[in-house]
Amino acid sequence: MKNSFDEKILEEANDWLNANQKVVLATVIQTWGSSPRQVGSRMIVNETGDFSGSVSGGCVESAVVRECIGLIKDNKPCKKIEFKVSNESAWEVGLACGGEIAVYLEQIN
Amino acid sequence: MKHSQLKEIIKKKASKIEFAIVTNLENGLSEIYEPGKSLSKEFEIHKEQIDNFFKLKKNGVIENTEIFIETYIRPIKVIIVGAVHIAQYLVDFAKSLNFEISIIDPRGYFASEQRFPDMKIINKWPDEAFKEIETNENSALIALTHDPKIDDPALQHALNKKFYYIGALGSKKTHENRCQRLKEAGFNSDQINSIHGPIGIKLGGRSAPEIALSIIAQLVSETYKK
Repeated sequence: MKNSFDEKILEEANDWLNANQKVVLATVIQTWGSSPRQVGSRMIVNETGDFSGSVSGGCVESAVVRECIGLIKDNKPCKKIEFKVSNESAWEVGLACGGEIAVYLEQIN
Repeated sequence: MKHSQLKEIIKKKASKIEFAIVTNLENGLSEIYEPGKSLSKEFEIHKEQIDNFFKLKKNGVIENTEIFIETYIRPIKVIIVGAVHIAQYLVDFAKSLNFEISIIDPRGYFASEQRFPDMKIINKWPDEAFKEIETNENSALIALTHDPKIDDPALQHALNKKFYYIGALGSKKTHENRCQRLKEAGFNSDQINSIHGPIGIKLGGRSAPEIALSIIAQLVSETYKK
């Protein structure tokens, strides 16, 4: 059985938008291997890089924030990004767990 | 996604309607879908797969497409009998876990709004109260009064409706007596043994928040067993 666990990220996105912030919604859309967060996990990012929620266990959030700010700057509606196993030179943006995830970014406006 | 669509999603979530968000990952178009209703041309060809995701309560990308489905199902209903101290902490935990809580307590002095702000308490005896709550095998019961007059009718209702989780507060001795009463009321041993009593996993804690934690841990664990 499943419960609909809900981290209220969409509600928070609405609050941010009502406060005239620009908001990008990031959603885990696919996972392979052992990845920390399940499909449907979410985080939101505003134009100054504040964020809430998560798409991994802290492994790729910094990269997602950068991508989201880029999306706002370029005024693009959406983008899909993938993260794979980390290597030493890029430890900051990999998944130490060895999994892979795909994250979908979309601007809300 | 448009802000207006986000607002609609939040509204649907709050009214506990089952729905899905369907998104084309290539062009960013998205739509809200309710089972049984129609979709726009763009997504109509995927209807069968979308319904399938619903059936499996699953989120994901439809194979060989760029269509992402996120389904919203109704939260599990948890009925707490007894607006006691432990219930106050259970309500806090249940909020972040997104259980849908109802509290029943016929004793007005327990069921006060001050003790449970923003919480609807059914100030009636369980037999009457359950007429107001739709329950089934996806419901859970936490009986906290350890007063047979209040707990027993609720336990009987939960057993009859095959709740997936039934727990009752009280010592081993209290629970033995309770089991005896249920046996006399005609319930079989499988039914009686399905009741978690004494309630909660063994944490060792004695305070109200610790007991609430042990109950909620058991409830979550049983949720994923089924």
